[in-house]
Amino acid sequence: MLRYTLGRLLSAIPVLAVVSLVSFAIIALVPGDMASEMAGPSATAEELARLRAELGLDKPILERMVEWYGALLRGDLGQSVLLRRSVSEAILERLPVTLGLTFLALGFAIVLGVLAGMVAAVRANTWTDQGVMALALIGLSLPDFWLGLVFIWAFAVKLGWLPTGGYVPLAEDPLGWLRAMAMPAAALALTQMGLLARMTRASMLEVLRQDYVRTARAKGLPGWVVVGRHAGANVLVPVITVAGVSVGILLGGAVVIEQVFALPGVGRLIIGAIQRRDYPVIQGGLLLTATIFVLVNLVVDLLYAAVDPRVRYGR
Amino acid sequence: MITRRRLGRRDLGRGAAGLAAAALGAGTLAAPAIAQRRGGEVVIAQQAQPPSLDAATSSAQSSRNITLHIFETLFARDEAGNPMPDLAEGVNVSADGLTYTFPLRRGVKFHNGKVMTSADVKASLERYGRVGASAAIMRPVDAIETPDSNTVVVRLKEPSPGFIAGISSPRAPCAIIPAEEAAKAAGQIEIIGTGPFRFVEYRPDSHVKLARFEDYTQNTNFQARDGFGGRKTAYFDTVTIRFVPEAGARTAGLQTGELHVLEALAVPAAQRLRGDRNIRTYEMMPWAFQTLMLNHAQAPTANLAFRRALQAALDMEEIMAISTDGLFRLTHGWQHPGTTYFAGDVGKELYNLKDANRARALLREANYRGEEFIILTDSSFSNHKAAGEVAAEQLKAVGINVRLNVVDWPTAFNQRTRREGWHMWVLMFGIEPYEGPFNVVGFFSGQAPIQHERDPVIEDANRRLNTSLSEADRRQAVADFQRRMYDHAIAIKCGDVGIVQATRANIANYRPYRIPRMWDCWFT
Repeated sequence: MLRYTLGRLLSAIPVLAVVSLVSFAIIALVPGDMASEMAGPSATAEELARLRAELGLDKPILERMVEWYGALLRGDLGQSVLLRRSVSEAILERLPVTLGLTFLALGFAIVLGVLAGMVAAVRANTWTDQGVMALALIGLSLPDFWLGLVFIWAFAVKLGWLPTGGYVPLAEDPLGWLRAMAMPAAALALTQMGLLARMTRASMLEVLRQDYVRTARAKGLPGWVVVGRHAGANVLVPVITVAGVSVGILLGGAVVIEQVFALPGVGRLIIGAIQRRDYPVIQGGLLLTATIFVLVNLVVDLLYAAVDPRVRYGR
Repeated sequence: MITRRRLGRRDLGRGAAGLAAAALGAGTLAAPAIAQRRGGEVVIAQQAQPPSLDAATSSAQSSRNITLHIFETLFARDEAGNPMPDLAEGVNVSADGLTYTFPLRRGVKFHNGKVMTSADVKASLERYGRVGASAAIMRPVDAIETPDSNTVVVRLKEPSPGFIAGISSPRAPCAIIPAEEAAKAAGQIEIIGTGPFRFVEYRPDSHVKLARFEDYTQNTNFQARDGFGGRKTAYFDTVTIRFVPEAGARTAGLQTGELHVLEALAVPAAQRLRGDRNIRTYEMMPWAFQTLMLNHAQAPTANLAFRRALQAALDMEEIMAISTDGLFRLTHGWQHPGTTYFAGDVGKELYNLKDANRARALLREANYRGEEFIILTDSSFSNHKAAGEVAAEQLKAVGINVRLNVVDWPTAFNQRTRREGWHMWVLMFGIEPYEGPFNVVGFFSGQAPIQHERDPVIEDANRRLNTSLSEADRRQAVADFQRRMYDHAIAIKCGDVGIVQATRANIANYRPYRIPRMWDCWFT
């Protein structure tokens, strides 16, 4: 298992190298730079040139690329002139916000989605099943940014239960954190919740027809034990697969949701960096995103082995 | 021997542009009759986060919303947009217009406790010439002298009637900072000014927090706040400026009371909230020009008859109504009406013609053969995109082969500096008209005019505007500029755009201005 894990981690290096190279090339081709943003619309060519020199943007792309890779080898993602701090610092400051949002949304999606899917499967072809699946379909179809705005209108403006946006660090005020994150996480989770509910229902229906489930019922085990323990454990493998994919989708969705709810996360950092052409931050952010995807895929593969005794790595 | 004359506020007002800001529900300049109350934590929301808090280096609105609470300048702008003394007591200008002597206000403290001296002013002005976003205003400066700790003398190489207008502009404020900070590069200074609020913290992507500066030295030469100057009083304990990119979330935050002030509220939202007793809205007209810049370096816009065809074809009322959600006025002037340099009816006969037949005749005269005409606009500012879309449809209707190129703001900004790849660029021209004529005329002249081809008449107007010591001559220069803008269709002005600012109803004595000013207002 250890050998397999190390092998997978090593194989991530060329993947990340290609990601960084491609992103560097794409960014270099995009017109505009942060000097334009700082100088304003009526800046003269002379003013822009002076500011570019001041910010080091007048260096050739190859020189900047060599400098960036050299620093990266020393573990330095570079400096953001606009943020007045290192890119690593800027990302690390925001990572808890994005990870908190993503995993809270994932928690909502798994708990409620799997539960809804199991209920629908147990009550297959009844009104309950139809109702749950209709809700799942609605959840799947609605864009998260729109849901976010509807939630703000309903739960903040009309009911006054939750704040419209902003962030409270978990360490400072856990309840405040939950209040700040509840709406964005719910808006983000709904699509994945629908997906997980539909997928769980389909898997569960298949499992419920298996001989060992019939045997469990025949020996008089209570219904919740049959469904929850015997059938439920076998639904886990497809759930883990979907949950792994969901992390990626949720991370992508967090970019938009952070904008709607004014959350200072990595997604907002990258969007802001793209708008301001803050190259080091864009590079660092993309590299981080790629790393998270690689790690999530690895964790998903390792979890297969943990939940399914038939899966073994290392030989 | 230098002959000196003292410039009073009235003289300075005539020397630069003025701006009539109309506001609904606004207070007056005089000291308010209702009781002021100290305390409270006010929260403002703005769309973007500032590219920098180093005031001198950024001309972004998102920066000056914050920095003008922290920093002050030798001269500021009054409520009508005219220069007025702020950290300086006034200015004596020599008869030849080459020497400016600024006596400084005494005992003004920086936020670090240090008392401001002429050395700080000298270092700040010199730094502005190196790193300021409008560094060109320091180009005529030959030397800066400090005969004593309370006097600064600026010697110019040539007369520069726009010098006071330049150093008083809020565009990229020529902020006075401690001399030890002035040695630092752009964006590297500690945020220390002399303003009524001091910097507390900046959490990127979240907020900036300011606190009342208890040792603030008020300008007792005035009775009340006046534009960016006057006697400023901070009542709020803290001011938090939150960055909320989503317009709907900003409006919702105002409705729930989490946010107290919005720098701008969309017109439809303002109409919807009109009946809400907890919210006050303030219209400000004019805020900016809506313009269509033209590239003279490329066919077909290199052809004068073709540019005149564009001018003839466009229906400004339709463009303005759609792009501003109805908050606009149709004015032709390249200066705001009621200001010193407003050139009256010059060019008015060529504004808003909406004459399709005339446009088609001019296209025939231009020998137009359906060459591609690229309108460059951006989706970062909704009014830019809408104005581009409406103009595109109107020009297609007269037979022009239009391609609308919608990109993000940095891309559009970069593209317009190139001679190829665009013919018309949609731009809302905001702070420059407020500043007066210097940057408006300057935009179309010099080494890199926006239209990419220098125009001799505009160059001459710019030269006269920037060198003549006679106000009458300078006004004539602006009138000549405006005549040329219309006769040669250098660029096209669509009209004036307004904005709506909004506050919770429990904020007293708020008055809309170029930024949401948090001094001289308080919680009831």
